[in-house]
Amino acid sequence: MRLIRAELLKMRRRQATWVVLIVLVVLMVITYLLTGEAYRFLGIIEFPGAYGVIGQFAFALGGLLAIVYSAAFVGADWNWGVVRNVVARGESRARYLLAKCAALAIGLGVAMLIIFALGIALTFVQGWIYGLPVESPLRGRGLQDLIDWLLLGYPVLLQRAALGVAVAVILRSQLAGAVVGIVFFIGESILIQILTAVSFFNRVTQGGLSDPEGPFLGFEPIGPEWFQFLPISIGGNILVLLPGGGGAAAAGGLQNLLLRPVPFEIAVPSVVLYIVGLLGVSIVALNRQEIA
Amino acid sequence: MAEVSAWAPMSDLAVATRGLVKSYGRGHPALTGLDMSVPYGRVYGFLGPNGSGKTTALRLMTGLLRPNAGSIALFGAPFTWRDRERLFRVGSLIETPSFYPYLSGSENLLVLSAAGPPTDPGRIPQVLDYVGMTSRSNDAVQTYSLGMKQRLGIAAAMVSDPDLLLLDEPANGLDPGGMVAMRETLRYFTRDLGKTVVISSHLLHEIEQLADVVGIIDRGRLIREGPLAQLLADAGRVRVRVTVEEMPRAAEILQRLAPERPLYGIDSGDQQGWFTVHVAPNRATEVNRALAEAGIHASGLEPGSDLETVFLEVTGPGGTVGPAA
Repeated sequence: MRLIRAELLKMRRRQATWVVLIVLVVLMVITYLLTGEAYRFLGIIEFPGAYGVIGQFAFALGGLLAIVYSAAFVGADWNWGVVRNVVARGESRARYLLAKCAALAIGLGVAMLIIFALGIALTFVQGWIYGLPVESPLRGRGLQDLIDWLLLGYPVLLQRAALGVAVAVILRSQLAGAVVGIVFFIGESILIQILTAVSFFNRVTQGGLSDPEGPFLGFEPIGPEWFQFLPISIGGNILVLLPGGGGAAAAGGLQNLLLRPVPFEIAVPSVVLYIVGLLGVSIVALNRQEIA
Repeated sequence: MAEVSAWAPMSDLAVATRGLVKSYGRGHPALTGLDMSVPYGRVYGFLGPNGSGKTTALRLMTGLLRPNAGSIALFGAPFTWRDRERLFRVGSLIETPSFYPYLSGSENLLVLSAAGPPTDPGRIPQVLDYVGMTSRSNDAVQTYSLGMKQRLGIAAAMVSDPDLLLLDEPANGLDPGGMVAMRETLRYFTRDLGKTVVISSHLLHEIEQLADVVGIIDRGRLIREGPLAQLLADAGRVRVRVTVEEMPRAAEILQRLAPERPLYGIDSGDQQGWFTVHVAPNRATEVNRALAEAGIHASGLEPGSDLETVFLEVTGPGGTVGPAA
């Protein structure tokens, strides 16, 4: 507990913590102000539909920032040389890293709640601006949708953070960790588009046209494909399946239109496995390291 | 030929290394068989030129690195990097002091003391006081000078009240006041509390004032070790001044006084020459008498000994230039 308390103190006092949160908040406010018309058209200035938009901020953009922040939070100990102090005092390397991850999990959880609270408030502001009745955030399926987003989105956020941690520990640097994390995030997203297109093309050339009069020129969505289990993709898959998540995410990826999503029962355990696996890799890497 | 003294069995020593070998990458040896014996309750001065392997040795003793060969014993028992709980009794300052720049001095000690051995938070103001940092303890470390970071590093090493302190160049960046404070703190630590200190340095004067025992390392191997007083006695010398014309005859006489050690002579450029005779300082009268009996009257006589003489004698004036280690 004292290790976790120490990590929370470092997190609270570090400027980067607040900068990342402020960046997310500012982007959110600007987006809400600039896209109000479009949101009204899509009918998402009302609950529970609005949770889809809030969730994309918290977990899609928030996920990218989680990678960067986690890499910076963990990798900084190598940059500043303080990991040497901890190991030389006889602290268990695994315990030290797990304490860092626990603090990150707490910090990201708090940030997620802040973003949801802000999102709800901004939805009311938008409703007021456009003269629309927003209704109660808890009406109808509202409460259930909110719980679903928080409970199922949070592991996605943790998985992104675990990726940042693993990269930072292996590369022993906050900057390298953050940069490689972003490249990984964007790289996988691009790769998925290419693999989706290739798979779909193969399906078409193999006579995949099922109903020429049907939607998407008669093409049935294909999959799930193996590449949907890649780390960024499987997390994104969960966000798409959450209430209102598909609509908001549709514009972001070919795969959301052409591929069948991996069902929750498989996607959620896969994300949890990634978290455990990435933490395991980080601990093994740290245990094997010589600290100069 | 290395002169390594086995003080005691490894089990009776605070720190002992035997045949310790460590290489960085291929063919980059930092330690080539280090045999080091640190007795309990003493200040051990660990001396060596740049790149001689001092920091590497300390990193191995704190489990930061793993040796390629050889053994380490801490508090009389074999130590490997897996025996991390043995380090609960060790405080260390390895290389440069490392802290979170955005936290204050006392916050840094607080987060550090959360790791490793259970530490009483009440120790923090106490150790800050030892190193004279109480007045700046609430300022962010990024506003500290190098000397202040060094003081905080010493405080961090002492925060969990360890039995053994491993300090790597702790006097770097310290002002004269800081050096005096460090000296007094370490003396209190060893003489009053009976604890052990290993202090690596190239500041020979500092070590001469502080250490009870000295080990000199060069090219990754210990080449001289023993009580400081003994080393200084062995390194005694008498400097004697004669005229240039008398130098050849004086050299003949003086060499006979210490036939096994080289005799150094230098023309000082003012028709006078200085000889350094490697004999104990209390033989100065004998040196003077030998010259006088040959009709040579010395115009200057300086008995003495210092660690620098010992150091240069065993490592050579050039010293080692190696990788940062």
